[in-house]
Amino acid sequence: MDHIRVVNLDVGYGDETVLRNLNFVIPPGMITVVVGESGSGKSTLLKALIGLNRPLAGQVFWGGERIDYDSEHSLAALYRRIGVLYQNSALLNSLTLYENIALPIRIHRHSTPRSDESARVHEVLGMVGLRGADGKYPFELSGGMRKRAALARAMVLEPEIVFCDEPSAGLDPLTASGLDELLRTLQGSHGMTFVAVTHELRSIGRIADRVLLLQGGGIRFDGDFKDVAGSGDEYLRSFFLLKDEAP
Amino acid sequence: MKLKEDLSRFFSLLADEIYATGQYLRNRRGVLPGAVVQQLFVMGYKSFPIVALITFLVGITISLTSAAQLEMFGADIYLADLIGLAMIQELVPLMTGIMLAGKIGASITAEIATMKVMDEIDALRTMGVVPEKFLMAPRLIAITLVVPLLVAMADTVGVAGGVIVARVALGIPPGVFLREVFTVVTLGDFLTGILKTLVFGWAVVVGAGFKGFFIDRGAEGVGKATTESVVLAISLIIGLDCVFAFVLY
Ligand SMILES: Nc1ncnc2c1ncn2[C@@H]1O[C@H](COP(=O)(O)OP(=O)(O)OP(=O)(O)O)[C@@H](O)[C@H]1O
Ligand SMILES: [Mg+2]
Repeated sequence: MDHIRVVNLDVGYGDETVLRNLNFVIPPGMITVVVGESGSGKSTLLKALIGLNRPLAGQVFWGGERIDYDSEHSLAALYRRIGVLYQNSALLNSLTLYENIALPIRIHRHSTPRSDESARVHEVLGMVGLRGADGKYPFELSGGMRKRAALARAMVLEPEIVFCDEPSAGLDPLTASGLDELLRTLQGSHGMTFVAVTHELRSIGRIADRVLLLQGGGIRFDGDFKDVAGSGDEYLRSFFLLKDEAP
Repeated sequence: MKLKEDLSRFFSLLADEIYATGQYLRNRRGVLPGAVVQQLFVMGYKSFPIVALITFLVGITISLTSAAQLEMFGADIYLADLIGLAMIQELVPLMTGIMLAGKIGASITAEIATMKVMDEIDALRTMGVVPEKFLMAPRLIAITLVVPLLVAMADTVGVAGGVIVARVALGIPPGVFLREVFTVVTLGDFLTGILKTLVFGWAVVVGAGFKGFFIDRGAEGVGKATTESVVLAISLIIGLDCVFAFVLY
């Protein structure tokens, strides 16, 4: 069963189409990495998949069900199943770290007892290595801590699928690899599905099961990461810096 | 073209906010507990001192300029009529509205525009929160509760300015002055003043939300949106005041 199936999708803004006639699937339990040059439309595609940006044409199916971008009901059902890690973390600055992470629980499961809520919040804070920072405000955290906190928030309701826009961009190599490891662990132990946009080659190497390469308004490559090295496509090889090693 | 789009956005946001606030009042969901009370304190703290100061100074200024004229005609006591009616019907609502635009409207726009730029609004949406409700319902409810208190205070302070001028410049005892004020100004005038200010307050909050939620991408950003929010709110207030003048008098 495919988690997400995209059929003849056009995405863009107003009259301007950024990506045309996309067809692909996102399989469950894997990490799919979306790559492409700056401005190729990665964020635009991501926003369409999570219902923030209405597609210009085509359909998106979740487990066989079509998303109706005009229906609040359909979108609300979608939002119950996903977690999103935004590029700039997007924690609410007016709330403490604890309140930020508890917010999805308070919104979706408002009858949850405070003790259960607290246990769950501390559990996910522990997973991302932020135990003890729960009373801090986002502006009191470093960029890497904010990213990890945003991941904790994205996971707190145990979504089926987590979307990450550049999870490791702007982080030092150690923090970045720590975050990648965390994604891998979660994918392995909880069977979570991840869709990540990233530029970092090292990060791609560490986490990618599948790769979706966007280029020129369409999909240039869609397949397993391990097949990238064997591909004869010059553009693909140059994107992954494989040119020099090619025979 | 741009104007048409802006107008349709403005009114659809207005409709969303009214709907969301009504929905919140019915089922108390979709807003953080305590948000209304928090907004009450923030708005009260921001607006009370400045509104008190401004209406007091305006009361004194109008009284001083009119006192000289009235004295020439030996109509000293009519200062009370003039101040009572001018303050309560017109100047307090207008001044309060403008102060709300500068203090509360500007900060709402700055906050929401920043949240928009930082993707916090998108984040709220994908968490299943309706931002128009989560952010705007507590503010609309809070302004509705703050304005009547604010107007009552401002009316008192503005008339007090008149009392002082009457005593010092014209030698009218405060008791006489106030008795005259109460014979001219009716409860209806007082309530109309509150109603007008309420409408101005709503215009400030809705206009501020509009400028925050629809901040131009790639523009100078938050600063520009904030300035525009104050200009929009003051224009709305003056326009609405004009409508009130036609309808009421
Ligand atoms: N809000 C918007 N309104 C209009 N056009 C936009 C908007 N956001 C992005 N675009 C345009 O869409 C195209 C794709 O942008 P997008 O942000 O999806 O690229 P990206 O692949 O995520 O790039 P990056 O790697 O730099 O983040 C660009 O040409 C951009 O100018
Ligand atoms: Mg992007």
